[in-house]
Amino acid sequence: MRYADFTPYDIVLLLQGLGVTLALFVGTTLIGLAIGLLLAVVHHYRVPGCRPVIVLVTEALKNSPVLVQLFLVFFGIPAFLHIRMTPVEAATLTLSLNTAAFAFVVFRSGIESIDRDQIEAAQVFGLTRSQILRLVIAPQAAAFSVGPLIGILVNQLQVTSLISVIGVFDLTKIGNILNLRTLQPFIVWAVIGLIYYLAAKTLAHAGGRIEAALRKSVKWGGI
Amino acid sequence: MIVAENVEKRFGDALVLKRVNLRVEPGEVVTILGASGSGKSTLIRCINGLETLSGGKITVDGHDVSTKAGLVAARRASATVFQLFNLYPHMTALRNITLAPIEVLKLPKAEAEARARALLDKVGLGAHADAYPQQLSGGQRQRVGICRALAMQPRYLLLDEVTSALDPEMTGDVLRILAELAADGTTMVFVTHEIEFARHISSRIVFLEQGELIVDLPTAQFFAEDGGLAVRRIRQFLSKMKKD
Ligand SMILES: Nc1ncnc2c1ncn2[C@@H]1O[C@H](COP(=O)(O)OP(=O)(O)O)[C@@H](O)[C@H]1O
Ligand SMILES: [Mg+2]
Repeated sequence: MRYADFTPYDIVLLLQGLGVTLALFVGTTLIGLAIGLLLAVVHHYRVPGCRPVIVLVTEALKNSPVLVQLFLVFFGIPAFLHIRMTPVEAATLTLSLNTAAFAFVVFRSGIESIDRDQIEAAQVFGLTRSQILRLVIAPQAAAFSVGPLIGILVNQLQVTSLISVIGVFDLTKIGNILNLRTLQPFIVWAVIGLIYYLAAKTLAHAGGRIEAALRKSVKWGGI
Repeated sequence: MIVAENVEKRFGDALVLKRVNLRVEPGEVVTILGASGSGKSTLIRCINGLETLSGGKITVDGHDVSTKAGLVAARRASATVFQLFNLYPHMTALRNITLAPIEVLKLPKAEAEARARALLDKVGLGAHADAYPQQLSGGQRQRVGICRALAMQPRYLLLDEVTSALDPEMTGDVLRILAELAADGTTMVFVTHEIEFARHISSRIVFLEQGELIVDLPTAQFFAEDGGLAVRRIRQFLSKMKKD
């Protein structure tokens, strides 16, 4: 067996890469959704001075290449602040903020899709702001947001492949390694592509089921 | 008692309420009449705190609605029924009614639901407790809206054109319920264009004209030739209403 041959151990390598990709994806999704939600709530309550800042930052994140953001975070920020940052830290920070920016937009329109009327009713019946947010706004905004969020997350899963550039051993980086060793780019990249495809399809399928369940449990049919 | 003293409300440059004075004693049904745009809804929204006053003062059982604590207490004392129902679309009729009793009055769920079911039975919707607003007709939705208000056991019921989005048949259903409530001694502040109905259930009628409360009379006097009808604007308003 030549050094350049595929070996059974390559499957382990691929699985490890997939694990890193999925772990970063899940982690940055959770952080990103939490931040996006927080931003949408702050935006909704018109916390003084916050609206313009939130809009500016999220617009910047949505409208510039993720690769550039990644370089800024990995090379720029450590140089500017004289701190150290590992590739995984830089990847986590960049992808989380990126997801947050897109999630913010979805959550904001989810909240804005709710009739002012109902909120006024809840107010005159004496519900507090947080009760209104939790009981009136959140369930409706959630049902409204699931569909668009799934679309965003499927896209963000693909975007994780960029982090291989700064040296995170994700699925794409493993692909690079295998490619350099075997010099079989067609096979390697086809397999890597297929794995991303299957992961994305699984995610979309699971998301679709969550959405269907949510819409079924909220039978009101208003959205 | 609801007391409005010299209430003023501006929207930008427009003065929509001009030194309005109004008193509603427990047990009274006070109807607010006036042309569209005269400020009726705004007055109701000042009483339930959805608008902040530009001048004057409103108290509900002594609680000043312009203070934070006063507004909380005032909102406990009154309940509002809205023109467009304003139900929560993601909740069943039952949950629409029990939400505030459970969350605000802290009633146990079972008790709140029992109360809600009794109210739904009373308005003929006993079979629709689990229906969502989308599944109900306008008249049914408004009856749920009335139950939602009554479930808070308010001392004052504020009703802003609660039948104007309904067709005549459904209007009848809702008015019958309101007549029963009036007969039971429920205190109401009632904005309506149903003149005959207002004449039937009101103890007093007040008339708003471009933000000014120009007449405040016991019902019989309001409709007397030497009372309200002596005011030209009211004569015009009433005859126009009859034509519509
Ligand atoms: N939120 C608002 N902003 C600006 N103008 C308003 C607002 N609400 C009401 N108005 C104006 O105030 C006046 C009184 O309105 P409203 O109280 O709704 O009258 P009514 O209920 O008697 O028809 C109208 O001229 C209306 O255009
Ligand atoms: Mg009105």
